[in-house]
Amino acid sequence: MGSVEGGCCPPMDLFRSEPMQLVQIIIPIESAHLTVSYLGELGLLQFKDLNAEKSPFQRTYAAQIKRCGEMARKLRFFREQMTKAGFTPSATPLTQAKIDLDGLEIKLGELEAELIEINGNSDKLQRAYNELVEYKLVLHKAGEFFHLAHNDATAQQREIEASHGDESSITSPLLDQEMSIDPSKQVKLGFVSGLVPREKSMAFERILFRATRGNVFLKQAVVSEPVTDPVSGEKVDKNVFVVFYSGERAKNKILKICDAFGANRYPFADDLGTQAQTVTEVSGRLSELKTTIDVGLVQRDNLLKTISNQFEQWNLLVRKEKSTYHTLNMFSVDVTKKCLVAEGWCPLFATTQLQDVLQRASFDSNSQVGAILQVLHTKESPPTYFRTNKFTTAFQEIVDAYGVAKYQEANPGLYTVVTFPFLFAVMFGDWGHGICLLLATLFFIVKEKKLSSQKLGDITEMTFGGRYVILMMSLFSIYTGLIYNEFFSVPFELFGPSAYACRDLSCKDSTTIGLIKVRRTYPFGVDPEWHGSRSELPFLNSLKMKMSILLGVAQMNLGIVLSFCNAKFFSNSVNVWFQFIPQLIFLNSLFGYLSVLIIVKWVTGSKADLYHVMIYMFLSPTDDLGENQLFDGQKTLQIVLLLLALVAVPWMLLPKPFILKKQHQERHQGQSYQPLHRNEDSLEVEVHHDSHGHEEFEFSEVFVHQLIHTIEFVLGAVSNTASYLRLWALSLAHSELSSVFYEKVLLLAWGYNNVIILIIGIIVFVCATVGVLLVMETLSAFLHALRLHWVEFQNKFYEGDGYKFYPFSFALLGDEEE
Amino acid sequence: MGFLFTTLIFIAVGVLASLLVRICCNKGPSANLFHLTLVITATVCCWMMWAIVYLAQMNPLIVPILSEE
Repeated sequence: MGSVEGGCCPPMDLFRSEPMQLVQIIIPIESAHLTVSYLGELGLLQFKDLNAEKSPFQRTYAAQIKRCGEMARKLRFFREQMTKAGFTPSATPLTQAKIDLDGLEIKLGELEAELIEINGNSDKLQRAYNELVEYKLVLHKAGEFFHLAHNDATAQQREIEASHGDESSITSPLLDQEMSIDPSKQVKLGFVSGLVPREKSMAFERILFRATRGNVFLKQAVVSEPVTDPVSGEKVDKNVFVVFYSGERAKNKILKICDAFGANRYPFADDLGTQAQTVTEVSGRLSELKTTIDVGLVQRDNLLKTISNQFEQWNLLVRKEKSTYHTLNMFSVDVTKKCLVAEGWCPLFATTQLQDVLQRASFDSNSQVGAILQVLHTKESPPTYFRTNKFTTAFQEIVDAYGVAKYQEANPGLYTVVTFPFLFAVMFGDWGHGICLLLATLFFIVKEKKLSSQKLGDITEMTFGGRYVILMMSLFSIYTGLIYNEFFSVPFELFGPSAYACRDLSCKDSTTIGLIKVRRTYPFGVDPEWHGSRSELPFLNSLKMKMSILLGVAQMNLGIVLSFCNAKFFSNSVNVWFQFIPQLIFLNSLFGYLSVLIIVKWVTGSKADLYHVMIYMFLSPTDDLGENQLFDGQKTLQIVLLLLALVAVPWMLLPKPFILKKQHQERHQGQSYQPLHRNEDSLEVEVHHDSHGHEEFEFSEVFVHQLIHTIEFVLGAVSNTASYLRLWALSLAHSELSSVFYEKVLLLAWGYNNVIILIIGIIVFVCATVGVLLVMETLSAFLHALRLHWVEFQNKFYEGDGYKFYPFSFALLGDEEE
Repeated sequence: MGFLFTTLIFIAVGVLASLLVRICCNKGPSANLFHLTLVITATVCCWMMWAIVYLAQMNPLIVPILSEE
């Protein structure tokens, strides 16, 4: 298991996942907890759940997990309280004396009880306070009513008295006299006062009116500021009301309605003396309560402050404990009940570290017996583990997003580090845009330390995670931009003079026949003279299309070579002879040949039509090529290549299933005759073989699988090559867009000779460049590069059916629960 | 500055870069091989791109025709 040797390459970082081993650890029960927590610190062991059939409640440490859950709940409660009170848990955990779980549990319980009590008290006090505030409002407003009413009444009285003096007045009502004179007939009116929420006040009034058939008098006054409702504790706009009624029945009805509307009632004295007395009483109690509440708040704040100092530490401890017990629950208990048996995957390089940790744990826990570590042999496929650093992680994630590599299979992530940004840059070639991208990503890289500790938004987070991918992308874009000779679509003569010049001094035919090549080819990149010329597009189209094919064929060949590395590594000679070689032949006899033709055509300057050559290579291979001949013996070569491609198809399809069948039969016979001689070596050998050996061998299934695989490859060779043309399309789109923005916005604005128009033009240009070219084009080029890697490159060799190594580690705990 | 000469420059840059990487971050044989692979891949990619563009312009079938302005 896990032999590093073999394969075509010496061990290389990131090329193959770490060799893993399945280990069994037997831990004495008294040191189990410490051992597991030390292993969590180490974080290089992925435990297997040995109790998968047991429910969470049946497991050994269910009670402890419950305790931890309870403590976590308390901590969450503290966090809530702290955020409410505006405290943030101090980021730097105080390194206090180690607290054990039991101590912490008691402490948390005490703190919680204290906090709840304080909160309860302060809630009660607050409620009383709010009630008093409301009461005071009622006293104030209702006092105003009564005062006004009283004034009115006396004014009326006076008027009446005055009118009495003036008997001759005919207009004075007759009844007035009687009413004012006969006090015994006055009805004794009761009243209820209180506060009602403003939005309900209309309905309240209506219902009151209906319920009492209009025999009430309601007076409301708006309270200008929102009042804190004692029951809900929320700020609500309210009205003070006074309802006058007569009779006990009306009173009951009114009280019920008040309750239904959430209108708080407050007693109000009739006469002015008592009123004044109540007002002073209420004010006194208010200030008293205020101080009490303040004292309570200070007390609570102090408590929360002490909690916040240690909160992070406690939180971490509880989380660690919880995960430790979760892990312990995965262990099976030995029959003697004195040991726990753990199984897990760990990378081969970690064996000594693991042993050290086990030793340290058994020493620290004063255990008489040390833990025993032994390596198990298994047929199971180990998890895939790449040791990535901050630079390679993002690239590996690009690959993992498609599928996690099979254990020890060649990792496309290795080449992705370069080819992904390169293909991106082919589509995004503009060194001005490249520099913008570079500056943006340098900002992230310089602020890396600061940004990695804080929480970012979704999109920023993603950009930040891929900062090194973007760095590579921008560097390659600058390079390809120089090759395309585009700086915000403007060419520069950076590498010497243009190779083209006018035919004669008058330059008459430069717009009809064109320039003439007078010097050596422009040494680096596209000649600046092409820019803006009428033949620019035909030239660039032809160049970029051919470049896409050449790059695509090169990358697909790399993919096929990697499949060879895989076959060699897993010592699968069948795949070498009946998959790798025919695939290589097939692809190169068609598209490799096309690439050669392209290059030959460029080098010789021949006018041959390559479409014609390729099409008639299939339709009539024996025909004379005529003017399309590029070199001698081309016809013979084409026939040979065509035959090779035709042979390669059945070569891919037929032999492999039959050979697999034969191999299976041989192995099967061997097994049936000597089942007792299987020792560990033979087991190990078997692991390296295909997994077909263990199951029933279904020939038809294998054959169909191979058929699909062959068809996929043959059709894929054509469609994948065509798919690389997206490099041409996107690069064309990018350069056209940027030249449109430059010419139609910036130059147009410049032409007006007006500062304001120029400024507007610059603003529009910058917005368009940033929004369309730097953001949207980056995204689209990114996605297309992603597709070219996932589909066109990886389908040549990558299985991607592994599963990720997920070690038990305290360091990973934080991200997962937040 | 012919094709071969610039190609030689590319090779020289590639060799130089791999040496630099080897000297600057020497982190054991497997990491060194990894860095070397990256440098070689990058150099080959860049060279291919340049070579394609250079070859395409060596014997032009069409020439720039200036637009009438």
